[in-house]
Amino acid sequence: MPEISLTVNGEQITKSVEGRTLLVEFIRETLKLTGTHIGCDTSQCGACTVHLNGKAVKSCTMLAVQADGAEITTIEGLAPDGRLNPMQQAFKDHHGLQCGFCTPGMIMRAMALVAENPEPTETEVRHGLEGNICRCTGYQNIVAAVLDGAKALRS
Amino acid sequence: MSNVKIGDSLKRFEDQRFLTGRGRYVDDINLDGQTRAVVVRSPYAHATIRSIDTAAALAMEGVLLVVTRDDWQREGFKPMPTKSAVKTNADGTPLKEPPRHALAIDRVRYVGEPVALVVAETLSQAQAAAEAVEVDYDELPAVVDPVQALAPGAPQLWDGIPNNLCIDFELGDKAGTDKAFAEADHVVSLDILNNRVTAVPIETRGCVAAHDAGSDRYTLWNASQNVHANRDTFAEVLNIAKEQLDHIAPDVGGGFGAKNSGYPEPVLCLYAARRLGRPVKWINSRSESFLSDTHGRGQTSRVELALTRDGRFLALRTSTVGGIGAYAWTVGPFTPTGGSARTQGGPYHFPAMHYRGRAVFINTAPMDPYRGAGRPEATFQTERIVEYAARTLGFDPVELRRKNLMPPEMLPHKTPMGLDVDSGDFPLLFEETLKMADKADLAALRAKAEGAGRKFGFAIAPYLECTGGGPKEHAGVVFNKDGSIELAVGTSSTGMGHETALAQILAANLGVDVDRIKFRQADTTATPLGGGHGGSRGMEVGGNAVKQAADEIVELAKPVAARLLQSETEEVEFADGQFQAGASSVSMNDVIEASLDSDKLPDGMEPGCLDHSSVFERGVISIPNGVHAAAVEVDPETGVVGFLGYWVMDDFGKIINPMLADGQVMGGVAQGIGQALLEDIVYDPDTGQLVTGSLMDYGLPHADEIPNMEIGYYEGAPTKKNPLGVKGAGEAGCVGACPAAVNAVLDALKDYGVTHIDMPLTPMKVWKAIRAGGKHDPHGLLGDAA
Ligand code: FES
Ligand code: FES
Repeated sequence: MPEISLTVNGEQITKSVEGRTLLVEFIRETLKLTGTHIGCDTSQCGACTVHLNGKAVKSCTMLAVQADGAEITTIEGLAPDGRLNPMQQAFKDHHGLQCGFCTPGMIMRAMALVAENPEPTETEVRHGLEGNICRCTGYQNIVAAVLDGAKALRS
Repeated sequence: MSNVKIGDSLKRFEDQRFLTGRGRYVDDINLDGQTRAVVVRSPYAHATIRSIDTAAALAMEGVLLVVTRDDWQREGFKPMPTKSAVKTNADGTPLKEPPRHALAIDRVRYVGEPVALVVAETLSQAQAAAEAVEVDYDELPAVVDPVQALAPGAPQLWDGIPNNLCIDFELGDKAGTDKAFAEADHVVSLDILNNRVTAVPIETRGCVAAHDAGSDRYTLWNASQNVHANRDTFAEVLNIAKEQLDHIAPDVGGGFGAKNSGYPEPVLCLYAARRLGRPVKWINSRSESFLSDTHGRGQTSRVELALTRDGRFLALRTSTVGGIGAYAWTVGPFTPTGGSARTQGGPYHFPAMHYRGRAVFINTAPMDPYRGAGRPEATFQTERIVEYAARTLGFDPVELRRKNLMPPEMLPHKTPMGLDVDSGDFPLLFEETLKMADKADLAALRAKAEGAGRKFGFAIAPYLECTGGGPKEHAGVVFNKDGSIELAVGTSSTGMGHETALAQILAANLGVDVDRIKFRQADTTATPLGGGHGGSRGMEVGGNAVKQAADEIVELAKPVAARLLQSETEEVEFADGQFQAGASSVSMNDVIEASLDSDKLPDGMEPGCLDHSSVFERGVISIPNGVHAAAVEVDPETGVVGFLGYWVMDDFGKIINPMLADGQVMGGVAQGIGQALLEDIVYDPDTGQLVTGSLMDYGLPHADEIPNMEIGYYEGAPTKKNPLGVKGAGEAGCVGACPAAVNAVLDALKDYGVTHIDMPLTPMKVWKAIRAGGKHDPHGLLGDAA
């Protein structure tokens, strides 16, 4: 089995993995970071979104071995001491989550979106979230949260 | 946080764990010694099973067990029962309930039906072995359309069930309705498809099952919306006492009805866990979910409206054929019958109504509740025929509706469908919704759309809802020495926020700090009974159970307060968290503290004397109601629909937490719009193969396809049917959205003579309808079958 070294939520990790293991499986099963979710098998839902070298990726679309040497952040890495970051706080304030299953992926996607475009319009947010499906909220409060989270992150 | 009140938009307690990745969904549970299960599913829509050979699979690495029909028959396991509230045909005979086993016994009847369960050390081993289970099938002809399934010569799913007919149900006054139609100035008649869709909660179904041989007890962690009812079903199948099975739903990632039923897979895992003496975990893949989750809607109806010359409604007549899948699933036969009958006619006054509903077996995945289960269908039928009447007879659609709404003076009123409409102000909500839309300046929106070469459309859709689901709920309260208060309720939140709303009700009624409350739900070890999820019952039944428990705790606490106040129990009054006797008072907090200290208690009372459980039973179902309105633009070159505005006024009675109510409405509207424009379960009509078997083929709405909504509440007519005065909020969004969206699009297409398009109104269908002009056969779906 190949061995990979990577940084996950600031921690240096070296593990052996089977070649066919998906990054999402590695995160959930090997690292036991279960905040990253699996909602589909066709790379559509975005529940598995994490940051890889600062970019949002769907961790079900790549193999763990492809993340060798990478720096990964999962939802658990955003609030290591339990204190919500401004985007997480905005989701709470705007009721941008219901069942919470899409939420980690939504937040990781939203953080990446705002990093690329710190002052997005509503239309840009809606387009930016196209790769993430939420079945509970109707998106309205998610969009409001992302706009507000962006604002909070700017200040 | 003290002094929380009913009506506050209290932020959610559950959010902290969900936002930080610390939710605990079923796939996050891993037990020592856990094995993994994979279901072998039928690749055919209809086939006889000749043989099942498991030898090759069993010989593979890591494979521990393959469960087949042989095990099921040897063990004498029972079929899974239907729990349909309607079980009788119009002629008084019982519905047909063919045996529904967790594994196919002699025949498979839909693609995806479980045929075997493979259990192995790892998931990939189980997946590989599932491929190696050799099942020899003899393919049979299949039928996936319920109207075709009723026709002579159609493939028959069951021996002894002629024409695939499960139930033929009627409600209302047939003779009176026929007479009104015969005498009416105008009659309109239209076949309407309410297309088959599925809930697609983003967390798929899954479970972890364990068995302890020493005590012969089972534990099941399951993404279920209905742990008590499902437990009873599973215990019945396995021939065990229900007390032997603890059924727990951890955090559940959405449900919308698709996790209500007692499904086959958990019961297979329970059995496998017993056989192996090791925990068994099964998680459905998304593609398997499309094959095996219950579907909703799937009704073909002829709807007919009789009117006077000046547009007064005289009668409504509906005949529906619903395809319920291959089996009478948990409540499958109910939805196209009683479920869709009750709210026919909406908030309009109809002197006469008649409804006929036939539930038909077809070679598809099962039908069971999907958000609204019958009420969206009824509302869609009513609102489509009203719009169609306005268009074809030349009435203004807004005026025609306005003229026929039941005035508040008419309430309480029993509709011809037997629905007890007690409270509300339908005309007021109608006008308020129009005002909201007007504020957005519809004329300007129209001008802008038309300036860009698009067609503008507007529609208003009043709806009438009713609650449902289990009538009883349990609420248990325990006061701990550390200051925490445990609240256990048998309802099931799969995202709705009961952890917050029910705590809010308890805190507001006791006058205690809401942060002290520790919430438990959906766990048979926490509450002896529970009605779970369904029918917008969370606040209506669960909330009232909590209020009742709180009110009873106040009475239990009065003697304790009397001792602290050096008064008599009869002298003590309670309000706003304070017990008062004469000029002196003591807080509920102090009384709770005293109740845990034997020194401070009156004689005969023990510490813990305030711990209390209560069971609330709903008398009569409530009637949420409201109005939706939508403004759209349609690009005639592409058929693409875009929203320009969406407005909702709801009467949910008393609102417990407006923020949460908004969330329910928004999510419901998005699901309704999804069905109206995008979502469709499609089976190949010849082979019965599922065409829309993944998220690539099934169009869930994305963030750029759902509009912002403006939502208002009317709280001026709380119901007296329950102490909280609540009417239920969970499904209404989904009830009003399909007709608002579809009628708005059709309004935009009126210049082309287009009067009807069946859902979903995809760009292709809209484009084709524009090209076809007014050519549409109003009786093209049902023909003579109505
Ligand atoms: S799990 Fe759905 S996109 Fe990765
Ligand atoms: S909150 Fe449930 S899927 Fe988004």
